[in-house]
Formats: sequence, structure tokens, C-alpha cells
Amino acid sequence: MMSSHPRFAVVGHPNKGKSSIVSALCLDDTVQISDTPGTTVNTRSFPLRVDGKVLYELFDTPGFQRPTKVLAWLQQHPVSADKKHEVIQAFIDQHRHDSAFHDEIELLEPIMAGAGIVYVVDGSKPYSQEYEAEMEILRYTGQPSMALINPIDTSDYTQEWKRALEQYFKIVRVFNPMTAHFEEHMALLESIAQLKQEWTEPMKHSIALFKAHQEHLFEQTASVIARLVYEALSSVERLPLRGKEASKEEKQEVEHRYKNRLRALEMAAQKSVEHIWSHDHLKKEQQRLAFEGMDLFSQETASVFGLTRNELLVAAATSGASVGAGIDLLFVGHTLLLGAAIGAIGGAASAFLGFNELSEIKVLGQTLGRRSIEMGPMVNKNLPYILLGRALYHANTVIGYSHAMRSRVDIVMDSSFKTKWLQDEMKKSLEKYHTLFRAKEIVQGDVLEQYTALIQTILKRVADA
Amino acid sequence: MTLESYLDFQSVVKEYPSSNEARRAFGIQHAHLKARPLEQILVWLEAHKKHVKKPLVGKTITSTLYKISLMLGLVSFFLGLFSGVGLLSYSGKEPVNVLYFMAMVIILPLFSMLLSLIAMLRVRHSNEVLVHLSPAFWMEKILSLLSKKKVQETVIDPVLANWIVIKRSQMLALLFSFGLLLALVATVVTKDIAFSWSTTLQIDAKTFYDFLYAVSLPWRELCVSGVPSLELIKQSHYFRLGNSLDKTMIQHPALLGEWWKFLALATVFYALFLRLLLLMTATFGLRVALKEAVLSLEEAKILLKQMNEPIITSQAIEPEAGLSTAEGKYEKTVFTLDPSYDEAYGWFMSQEQLLLLCESVGVRASRCIEAGAQLPLAKEGEIQDKSKAAVLCFVRAWEPPTMEIVDFLTELSSRADKVIVVPVGTLENQYRATPKELDVWDRKLTLLHHDKLWLKR
Repeated sequence: MMSSHPRFAVVGHPNKGKSSIVSALCLDDTVQISDTPGTTVNTRSFPLRVDGKVLYELFDTPGFQRPTKVLAWLQQHPVSADKKHEVIQAFIDQHRHDSAFHDEIELLEPIMAGAGIVYVVDGSKPYSQEYEAEMEILRYTGQPSMALINPIDTSDYTQEWKRALEQYFKIVRVFNPMTAHFEEHMALLESIAQLKQEWTEPMKHSIALFKAHQEHLFEQTASVIARLVYEALSSVERLPLRGKEASKEEKQEVEHRYKNRLRALEMAAQKSVEHIWSHDHLKKEQQRLAFEGMDLFSQETASVFGLTRNELLVAAATSGASVGAGIDLLFVGHTLLLGAAIGAIGGAASAFLGFNELSEIKVLGQTLGRRSIEMGPMVNKNLPYILLGRALYHANTVIGYSHAMRSRVDIVMDSSFKTKWLQDEMKKSLEKYHTLFRAKEIVQGDVLEQYTALIQTILKRVADA
Repeated sequence: MTLESYLDFQSVVKEYPSSNEARRAFGIQHAHLKARPLEQILVWLEAHKKHVKKPLVGKTITSTLYKISLMLGLVSFFLGLFSGVGLLSYSGKEPVNVLYFMAMVIILPLFSMLLSLIAMLRVRHSNEVLVHLSPAFWMEKILSLLSKKKVQETVIDPVLANWIVIKRSQMLALLFSFGLLLALVATVVTKDIAFSWSTTLQIDAKTFYDFLYAVSLPWRELCVSGVPSLELIKQSHYFRLGNSLDKTMIQHPALLGEWWKFLALATVFYALFLRLLLLMTATFGLRVALKEAVLSLEEAKILLKQMNEPIITSQAIEPEAGLSTAEGKYEKTVFTLDPSYDEAYGWFMSQEQLLLLCESVGVRASRCIEAGAQLPLAKEGEIQDKSKAAVLCFVRAWEPPTMEIVDFLTELSSRADKVIVVPVGTLENQYRATPKELDVWDRKLTLLHHDKLWLKR
């Protein structure tokens, strides 16, 4: 069965990082990766799909378990070079239900269905003849192939591996799925595309799509960070007061709630960023947002009938003016609109002076007025930069974090990070927006979009650094 | 895009958030609308409205707004009508002072229109005091407090809310002016009114004529009789002292009624036409604000992106099968080796390597045997047949225990009393296996549960 799109089977000895490579290339952090051989028991397909259409497909396969025995079987059926793949097919057909060769059949089947071979070895461990049986079997399939040297550890045996691999594969590359950046991923895909002429175009198209997708992810991330800063700066926490004035406990309570609200916003933004970059299973360690040394001002506010003092003032002035205008009308205008003017002034003055008294009037045991203590919008000038710094650092860590990694990541920002993104000029540009966010004004959509674009520029600069 | 659609969209997208895939499928199906985001949203809304329980919040709110508008509109109209009737009330004893009516149809509209224009220019300020002055604003505020929770929870973009109030204020003012005009027409038709002008200020007829001539600028070329003549102005100048009408006024009663044309045209132009222009401006502003409000909704942005951008996935479709892993430590472990063994095997190791390894771990073996691919499989079997007592099997610690080596060890243990697996590290590490590598072998042997297999740690 020949497929219409390029397919690649990632094969090799057990525990040489096949799943890590697939996980990194496919941005899938759910792939089981373990140092126990046999973690991958069945071949899994990882198609790159655009609107449901598969552009190419990667297969994560189980490692060779009994290559010597397979090779021995193949060698017992000597044929000319052009028939060798038929022997492999015969082996598959004959041993399909033989559990002893389950893994070999799992890995050979996609290859026999037309998949190119990506053979993975560990470049940090010495070469061994043990691998030759595997490479010989792969040669039997007659499929285009390349080798990837994955330096799992710090020791370097790359050169001896290269010498051995070049005898079997026309392309040999070093690729570390744990540290490889996006550009290296794309370079690897370009190498894979070279395996067969027919695959070059679809792979180029896939790479272009990947690049566009990457841009889109940056844009989404910047949007999340921009919204976090906007919401954090404009956020207001309000606590109704039990008495006339805020008690110490109430002041502490509103501060506690306000801080927690900002922390919750930050956590939610981080989760969104992790989701955007397909790192939903990321385990992280980080210090929570701290407010030490920041002046968080709270203020007491009051309202009557749900109206603030200013709103009530306008309402009273309008009502007074209406009543006065009615009187003017009764006098057929002889009063020269004096009634309206006096009514407006009287209404406004009575609302201004009587606001407190009015708020204390009880109806059915409930006062008309509501007193509350509120904290926010954030006036501290440093907080947006602290938030931004933390968000950018987190995003940058997530962006650069390989999907093959399964360890807990420490998100600890060092002091030098600030110099990477916050120059004086940039601070000026950002401050302009922060001032807008702090003011209790409507922030127009395009303002937030401009801010998002600025954040995206910073984010890309940080990611490229 | 209407206010109802704007509100419905928020409600539908919240209550029926279709999947990313469904949205993309919809986007592909309506690809011709890609460049027209508003239409795209509207088409999506129409297609998804049916999934949300009726009545939709948009219908509820717009219906409430309509009722409020109708009520306020009627109040404004009748207020205008009665104001007009009041201002034009003529007892027959003294003429009607046109200045009052002019104030209502020229000064008051111009002043309120100026306020409206300022409110339009400052529409993006959420706490716009001028918007708060509108009766429509307060009526809606009171009614929203009495509305259902679902309506109260609906968020309307503040700029849009300001435009709604501004537009409706223009409508109310327009109806008020209609009332004034109707009062004027009705009074003129049904009564014989003597108009005059009267003021305490020292204004002579010529100055007043010049003023009215300027006021009549918009229509003086079209309707000459709509501009009061100097003669009319002179004749209708009224002084209250004496408690009687001027003789010349009484001599020309028909002339005094001529003022109505000017008053009607002033009402039509200043109170109606200019207000209509302002209403049109407000309608345009509201339309733009609606468009901006929809497109700036976070849900709309997400929906448009999901409809217009291809879904790219590279993850596996099917979940991975669970893995059975061994727990605990392997019990058959040796920490020191005896000084000598009958046989020592080396998995994929040469004789020289084996001898070196035996020396490095301080054991002597009567025979060192290569095992694995270097020998044909049949020979490997022969070697196993020769095994008898305790034997060592050196393996590369960093290479994971494949089934091939497991097969070999199983075979070997069936022919020997004790098989000690000795994982060895790289030369770089002086052949010492790392704890991590040993753990891998430990777990594999634990899974095998074999009595005769021992692990050297």
C-alpha cells in the first residue's frame, strides 16, 4: 500500500530517543518517554494535518528487540538485491502473529507501506556491532533512509557513529530533541525532505506552514500577555463595609483578595501560554508573584441606589433642572429659565451635601447607601514591569522547552533577563500604554492590539536572544 | 450589524461555544466571506442561534429599549406639544411674545446640539457627564435594575452604550421639536394670534431685524416671506406699559400673524433639520461603534481566527497504550563477585574485551565466551549447552536489555545454576555502570521473575 503523503518511520534500538525525537518534532508532550526499554509497544502515527488533510506523517515505533534473529531469518532466504524487500514482506507475513517479533513487525510495517526511514542512535555512547543487524534489516527494505545521532548524554562518540552510519545511510545528522530550537526542527525536516524527490515539495509546504503557525503562536502568546497586564493594571477589588469605616481586618481582607486576584490572573495567563505551545502537561516550579515593597493603596467609596456621588450629583442636578424648567413653563418663560438654573444648582448642592445622610437612611432595615473599600487600579509603576518580566520569562521558557522533556522545569528569572528586553526606549513605549490601562477609561480595541504588537516584538527579541 | 445581533452574539458564543474544528469547518464552508468579518460573524450567529434557549438576550434588551424609547418619545412629543401650546397661548389681551418660542426652537436646540456634539467627540470617555445628562440614560439605568439577572449581566461596550444614549437623545429632541411644530401649526390654524416681540433690553427694531435676517440665512433665498420685514418688526414691538396695545398694532392685525412663517421655518431648520443631521451622525457613529464593539470582543476575535486560520495539528490521534512497569528493587542482587567462575560471557564483546573486563572486576574465568551476533545463532546455542555452574554475563550497561539478550539469559539460566548479569560502563567511566543504567537492568530483570538470574550492582 503506497500512501499519497510522505511518511517517515523513526526506528532504532530501544531507548535511543526515538520517542523524544517524535515528541519534539510533533510538539506532543503526551508521548511516553522512559528509560525503560519497551516503553513504545505499538507504532503510533503523528500526522501533520492542516484542516484534516495530512501533509506528512511520522511514526514512532518500538525498538528492535530481536534483530539478530530477524536478520538470520532473512539471510536464510538469499535473493538478489531487487527482491530483498520481498523477503522482508515475507517475514512480516509469516510472523505477523508471532509475539516474539511483535516489535519488529510493528516497525517494519510502515516502512513496507512506503515510509522513509529515520534511524536513531545515541551519540553519547560508543558504537557497537550490535547495531549492524538492525541497519542491515533496514537496508533490506530498500526504502530511502537517514540516520540521526541523538546525543542523549554529555559524552561524545559522534565521530565513530558517523563513520559507521555513513556506510548504511546517505544522510547522517546530529539532532538533540531536548535542546533543538525551532530552526533546527525545520532544518531536520528539510533534511528529511531530501530523502525522496517526490517528498521535497510537500515537505517544503509543511515547513512553510509550520513557520506561519509559529508566528501565529507568538501572536497568541503576546495577546495573552498583553491582556494579563491590562487586566492586572485595571483590576479593582471591592469589599462592602460592615461599619461606617473600614476596619483593619477589612483593609487586610481587600488587600489579600486583590493580591490573589492578580496571582490568579497570572496563573491563568501562564496556563493559556502553555496550552498555546502544547505544553499542557508541563510541570513547573516557580515563586509566586510577590508584592514586597509595593504601596497598595486602598480607598473607601460610597454609593446610594447604586450610584456614586458624582452620578447622584448629575442625577439630582438634572432632576432639579427638569422641575425648574416645569416652573419656567408654568410662567410661560417669564422667569427666563431661572427656575431650571436654580433647580439644577439646588439639586446638585443637596446631593453633594446630603449624600452621607441619604446613604444612612434605613428602609426596611436596610440602609440606602452602600459603603465599600476598594483596591485598584494598580498605581505602582513597577508592577507592570514585574508582571511583564515574569510573563515574558515564562513564555520564553515554554517556547524553548522541548516537548520531549519530562522533568520539572524551574522558572526562576535571573536579574540579567531584564536587560534583554527592558531598554529605556522600550520602557517609554510601554509606559504610555500602562498609563492608559491604569486610568478608569475605556481602552479601545486598537490600543490593546498595538500593545500586543509591542509585546510580540519583545517576545520575539527575547526568544531570538 | 444591529444591537440585537451584537447582544445575541455574546449570548450564543457563551452558551453554545462550538468546537475549534466546527468553527473552522464553518469558515471553509463560507470562505467567500473571509474578507468580511462582520458578515462572517452574522452568518455564524444566524446558523447557531437555534442552539440557544429563547428568548435571546438581544431580543429582550432591544425590546425593552424599544419600549423605553417609545415611552420617552411619547413623553417628549407631548412635552413639546404642550410647551408649544403654552408658549403660544393667546388670551386676546396681549400678543404672544415670539422670543419665548424662538428660545425654544433656536436657542435651546442649538445649545443641546452643542452638548450632543461635545458628547460625540468625547464618546470614548466612559464617564461622560454629558451622556449622563440624557433622560434616556437614567431611565435605562433604573429599568436595568428592575430587569432579569440575565439582562443585567449582559455587558455592553461603554463606547457603544454612549452612542446608544446619544442617538436616542437626538430622537427624543427631534420628537420634542415635532411637538413644538405641531403646536405652532395647530395654534396658527385654529386661532387668530397676534405675535409681537418684547424685551427689557434696549434693542431697536433695526438691530432685531438684522439679527433675524441672519437667523433666516438658511431659507431667506428660498422663502422670502419667511423673513420678518423691518416693517413687521417695527409694528410688532410691544411694550407692556399702558396695559393696552399700540394703535398701529391694532390697525394692522393681519400683519402681526405673519410671524408664524418665520417661527415655523426656524423650527423646521434649527429644531428639526439640524437635529436630523445630528441624528444621522449619531446613527452613523452608533453603526461604527457597533462594528468596533463586535470586532473588539475577545470571543469574536477568537471565532474569526478559528474560522479563518487553518487548524494545524501534529499530535498523535490515538492515545498511547499504557505501559506495565516494574516496581521495587530486584531482590537477586550481588554486590561482590567471587574470585573465579567457570565461564564468563560477553554480549557482543570480543575475547580481548572480555579478558580486560574480568581483570578490571577482579575475577578469573576458566573460559571467556563471546555471545551475540558475532557468532551464528546455532553456535550460540552450543555455547549455552556447555554452561553448567555459576556463570557471569557481561553486558553493556548503557544498552537497554532487548528481548534478544533476555532470550539468551533465559536460555543460559536453564543450563546453569546461577547466572550473574554484570552490566559494565564505558571505558571513560572505568567500566563502572551508572546507578541509572543499573536501575534499567534492575527493572527489566524484575519483570522477568527468573530464579537463577542475578544482578551485579
